[in-house]
Amino acid sequence: MLSKNARLWLGVIMGISLLSLASSCTPKEPDDGGPGGPPEGKTYTAKNNEGTISGVVSYNGTAPENKKIDTSADSVCTSKSPDLKTEEWVVADGKIANAYVYIKDGTLADGSKIGDYGKWPNMPASATLDQNGCHYKPHVLGVVVNEPISITNSDPTQHNVHFTPKNNPDWNQGQANGAPALQHKLARAEVLVPVKCNQHPWMKAYIAVSKHPFFAITEKDGSYSLKGVPPGKYTVIAWHEGGANGTEQKMDVTVAASGAAKADFSFGGTAMVQPGSWPMLEAITFPTLHNH
Amino acid sequence: MSKGVHRFAVFVACATFFLIIAGANVTSHDAGLATSDWPLSNGQVFPKMVGNLFWEHGHRMVATAVGMLTIVLAFYLQFREPRTWVKRLGWAALGAVVAQGLLGGLTVKLNLPLIVSATHATLAQLFFLITVSLAVFTSKRWIESEPLEQMVEGPPVRALCVFSLAMILTQLVLGATLRHSATWDKDLPTPLLVAHICGAVVVTLVLSTTIAAVVLRFRPETYLTRPAAVAGFLLVVQLGLGLAAYMTRRTSPNDPQPLTPMVAVTVAHVACGALVFAATIVLTLRVFRIVRAKQAEYRLAHA
Repeated sequence: MLSKNARLWLGVIMGISLLSLASSCTPKEPDDGGPGGPPEGKTYTAKNNEGTISGVVSYNGTAPENKKIDTSADSVCTSKSPDLKTEEWVVADGKIANAYVYIKDGTLADGSKIGDYGKWPNMPASATLDQNGCHYKPHVLGVVVNEPISITNSDPTQHNVHFTPKNNPDWNQGQANGAPALQHKLARAEVLVPVKCNQHPWMKAYIAVSKHPFFAITEKDGSYSLKGVPPGKYTVIAWHEGGANGTEQKMDVTVAASGAAKADFSFGGTAMVQPGSWPMLEAITFPTLHNH
Repeated sequence: MSKGVHRFAVFVACATFFLIIAGANVTSHDAGLATSDWPLSNGQVFPKMVGNLFWEHGHRMVATAVGMLTIVLAFYLQFREPRTWVKRLGWAALGAVVAQGLLGGLTVKLNLPLIVSATHATLAQLFFLITVSLAVFTSKRWIESEPLEQMVEGPPVRALCVFSLAMILTQLVLGATLRHSATWDKDLPTPLLVAHICGAVVVTLVLSTTIAAVVLRFRPETYLTRPAAVAGFLLVVQLGLGLAAYMTRRTSPNDPQPLTPMVAVTVAHVACGALVFAATIVLTLRVFRIVRAKQAEYRLAHA
């Protein structure tokens, strides 16, 4: 058995250790590229025979209504966005905005894989995510790996920005009104990284991280366009946040030299819905009132 | 024996219960990371309590108050309590509340890892156990009570009580892990949900048996039957709240934000779980106080 003094010292040391651990633990710094730094792979040189993939993303049937958000927990939000609603379904005339369309994989005409390349012409330089009216603008954002993301706060209230990725480090940072823009990078490709504000729990955004620049977010008319695509055969995915964990549609597309390929997608009642790249959780089959 | 010490111990136990409710609100509102700071909130001692910061900073304020009360209780016991082991329990309460505060800070700093958050929620129940025990140990009835004179037959009530307590604590750990494994906008993980439901069945069987044994064998002894009846009543309420929590939590991922019905029911489920635990602690301690361990001891005492 330890003596009384030894136990006292042990307790003191354990307490100090816990205190030190707690105070020394800080949220992870913005990932500057991780162990690999910039995306690895070959550099693609433009051959001036690149083509385009474009199309429209539609919704079959009547889209679910977006839900009213109760912003009364923060009067700033209520005054700035008195009629705030969820942004899950932004559908006008049967066309869906905020769907993320991207090339998942494929083979170029010369036989190389799209994933072999780490650098492409016209890689986007930076992106901005703004907190405005207690919601995120844009609601869905596409970036390439390690692209600087500038996070701004245009609201006269405090927000916190919380990235909850699966492949990248979790990142949470408070941001007061008037504070300088926060900078963050995501080092690994991921479709899609949910972003939330723990202070205003209705605030949600999604950031898609791609290794290449062949992605787009659909406009209000559901249209999108992927430009500068090398000739080849590709699997194109349209992802939408609707459903329990997001849903996606897949299509094989061939791009001819200097060609313009079309790829239209549809979501909704009669559309084929495939599991998203997020793991679909098992259905809960426990007793529910309607089962009895 | 000091009446003041007992009253203050009861007050600390009640404050701890309120702290558990405040903590449950943080989880149900998904407010744990409303500020990435600790121990300050957004760099301030008293930030503007808007949005979910109301719940997170409110929890910190209540926790600070309970910490202060525990310090006072620990010192109060040193001066007014003659029993050394009760004095030591006072220090244990202080150690537990300090560790609990540090775990709370640690989980915020590490962005709520499941293991730390679940440990934080579990230690909350263990701290509650200590404060409730102190309230029992300092009571007049505890000090003045004598072992029962009557001969009792049947299963070992002491063992049943300890088993019930262990099962309830296990169930509380499972519940804490389940709650912290998915925020309101995510589905609960099926394996943990199954484990928690199975735990509810086990607790119901074990605690019901214990309550039945106590009530049937010690019918006139209200010192035992009263906490047993309270535990039984709370168990029934808790099962209803569990079902309601499951129903509201199952649909919450479709909601735009944590809505009041889900928050109220899940917080009530946590609070009632703590009360079931507290009632069983009181029952177990009283059983150990007045029910003899072995028939042989009884015979020896009355030879």
